[in-house]
Amino acid sequence: MIAVTDDDRTYDVVIVGAGFAGGILAKELVSDGHSVLILEAGEDHGKTWETYRSYLDQYYLSLTKTPNSPYPNLPTLPSPSVLDITAVHGTEPDTNGYFVQRGPLPFGSNYLMAYGGTSLHWLGTSLRMLPADFEMQSRFGLGVDWPFKYEDLKSDYERAEWEIGVSADAEEQTPKALGIKTSGPNDNRGYFARDYDYPMHSIPSSYVDNFFARADGMPIEIGEDAGDTVHLKVSHTPQGRNSTPRRPKAARKILVGGEPQEQFRPRGSTGPFAFMGQRCEGNSSCIPICPIQAKYNAMKTLEDAKYTGKHRMKTITQAVASKVELGANGRVSGIVYKKYPFPGVPQYELRRARGKQYVLAGGAVENVTLALASDICRSSGELGRNLMDHPYMMTWGSAPEPVGPFRGPGSTSSYANFRDGTFRDKTAAFRLEIGNWGWKFAAGAPNSDVERLVEQENLYGKALRDKLYHDVQRQVRIGTLVEQLPRATNRVTIDPAYRTPMGEFRPVISYDLDDYSRAGLAASYDTCAQIFQRLGIRNHTAYNPSDAGYFTYEGRGYTFFGAGHLVGTHRIGTDKHNSVTNDKMRAWDHENLWLVGAGSMPTIATSNPTLTLSAMAYRAARAIKTAVRKGGAA
Amino acid sequence: MGTVMTIHDETHDFQGFLIVSAALTGYDSAELQGTGCAKEYWHQFRQVLPKEILTEFLSFAPALGKKHEDKIIRQSYLSDRCLGPVSRSLIQLWYTGQWVPFPQEWRENYGASRFDVVKIISTRAYKEGLVWDAIGAHPQGAKQQGFGAWSLEPPKQRGAGE
Repeated sequence: MIAVTDDDRTYDVVIVGAGFAGGILAKELVSDGHSVLILEAGEDHGKTWETYRSYLDQYYLSLTKTPNSPYPNLPTLPSPSVLDITAVHGTEPDTNGYFVQRGPLPFGSNYLMAYGGTSLHWLGTSLRMLPADFEMQSRFGLGVDWPFKYEDLKSDYERAEWEIGVSADAEEQTPKALGIKTSGPNDNRGYFARDYDYPMHSIPSSYVDNFFARADGMPIEIGEDAGDTVHLKVSHTPQGRNSTPRRPKAARKILVGGEPQEQFRPRGSTGPFAFMGQRCEGNSSCIPICPIQAKYNAMKTLEDAKYTGKHRMKTITQAVASKVELGANGRVSGIVYKKYPFPGVPQYELRRARGKQYVLAGGAVENVTLALASDICRSSGELGRNLMDHPYMMTWGSAPEPVGPFRGPGSTSSYANFRDGTFRDKTAAFRLEIGNWGWKFAAGAPNSDVERLVEQENLYGKALRDKLYHDVQRQVRIGTLVEQLPRATNRVTIDPAYRTPMGEFRPVISYDLDDYSRAGLAASYDTCAQIFQRLGIRNHTAYNPSDAGYFTYEGRGYTFFGAGHLVGTHRIGTDKHNSVTNDKMRAWDHENLWLVGAGSMPTIATSNPTLTLSAMAYRAARAIKTAVRKGGAA
Repeated sequence: MGTVMTIHDETHDFQGFLIVSAALTGYDSAELQGTGCAKEYWHQFRQVLPKEILTEFLSFAPALGKKHEDKIIRQSYLSDRCLGPVSRSLIQLWYTGQWVPFPQEWRENYGASRFDVVKIISTRAYKEGLVWDAIGAHPQGAKQQGFGAWSLEPPKQRGAGE
């Protein structure tokens, strides 16, 4: 029996994970006078400017510039990598990477275990969900309803948008303005509160966006009857990156969660260079790293929490939460963690953190492996199930003229038309994201173009230079993000056979795409093909049966990837039989334990989950504050 | 005396390296030196090539920039069993900052160098890759163009309309 050393101090709240949700919770709780301890398994990337700069250098030197490439992948703390994804064959799981993949399809998403979490490499897309997304069972007889409605999350969306610093204009973002034929007659009414607007104006459209906008108004049949036909519209995507702050009209301030706000002040880099990054400068590398931190990351919120909390706020990095311990009445009595002094060396000290309330905020997969390893939250049987992602499919082609790719944020606009509609009873909804970086994700451009022109087309000199311009300037790509329904068989489990060098359980994942999502992907492909035909884009899309994410639907083959949107493994619900936590994210089985993050979401719909999980963190924060004040009584 | 000769030879060879590089890449010698990477690449090039192959590679430099340049490049460089792979790796080095190792067959015939491995030469090499200029963009993660520049019409092809 290895001795566990108790930490000296007992905190009001112990949070596992310093990412999007953990940051907001910490800031909210310390602002209210509570003491907070954050345990973060990864290293602190933001402590000094030199550290952050060294990750930028690592990005420059990485041969394959994957989302995790700038950041350390420690043997002590492996993160899943997109390079590890291979097809799963037969009955043997694929154990190439950190994930143990049981298939039948590989789960293609990743995340980052570090101070700041996956916010270090997210794209910045900050979409609200639509009213229908909360009512999938009532409206379509599919999946589950949320225990609350869009209206109930609206003011928390406002808070999250102002914390992250989202650039968008409310009048452009209503379902109607986006060109969505909503499935409910009143979904457009009051989508934004009357005196609300985003803190900053929309990020300017890219030249590529404006090229695609030439097809605006084109009718696309999506459902079975003519009434379902939508008219294409390119619309700005709300983004968590700094733009021009909105000036509130003198008399009417902007109300955020009911509170009047002064003009938003964009927050730049963390650490000593805070004057940098107050505007997006177009570094065109949001994924995997914004060199100036004009893109939001959770380190900004964590820094606020430290500044506000002072002695009430404590962060311990390189601390891997290993077991949630239970005391009397199923209450959590402590969290045992492994504190490793040297990154990469699997040598650690066992310590125990104590608090009145405990929060798991390590992401949809890590929350589950920790809970399963601790044998908690078991009564519903839902823990680890209903894993969802946005299966991500690309279509790409050559435009008839130069469109200026490889400039600006990864995506600035999308076709949001297909995010809801009556078609959703049979076909998954989707969003078509317009890419600004040519065939970067689709084919490894522009380096792959250099290789092709030199090695295969035998070009050199000015002819090579000119052909590169010709080919790459015309590269366009659309990414489809399609919704998945919650399925009990898409799940995260653990197996004693698979552990990390630190002795922690590796996630064992079973994953598949159902016909609903496949139908959505097929419909999106047909839509993209039509858009290409309309704009004279030569279609270069190629899906190969040897691709890891190759699948078929109605006799045709496609390839999907993960979107990094890990959702649904510890969903909220109305009772302890259908969900892991209540609608405030308190575990049904353990009254002082909370599970937050995208794992709480009962459905994924078509919005990238960050904004929703951040809004839900405010909801949880209020309930946790109450619980702390009451001393944890129910 | 000997030292002076060596420096002279290296300078001469380096100039030859720039002349051949310019012909292969389509960027002139001043533009190539403007990247600040020429010396690094020359160093890498000498590390991977046996001396006699390096000498042969540079031997055509004086003939470049004249009437039959295309023939020399295609016949003496690109289609040559030894110098072809060397030329293609060098073009890609200038365009991407990344060394592309020689094919296995080449190594068997002409010798393997332990420096002949895939790598991005330096952070500067990544940022100075000619590809970014050629495609009318900027290296991702560096040399940012400023807020909203992505909305503007892309630059015209270099030399277009001349």
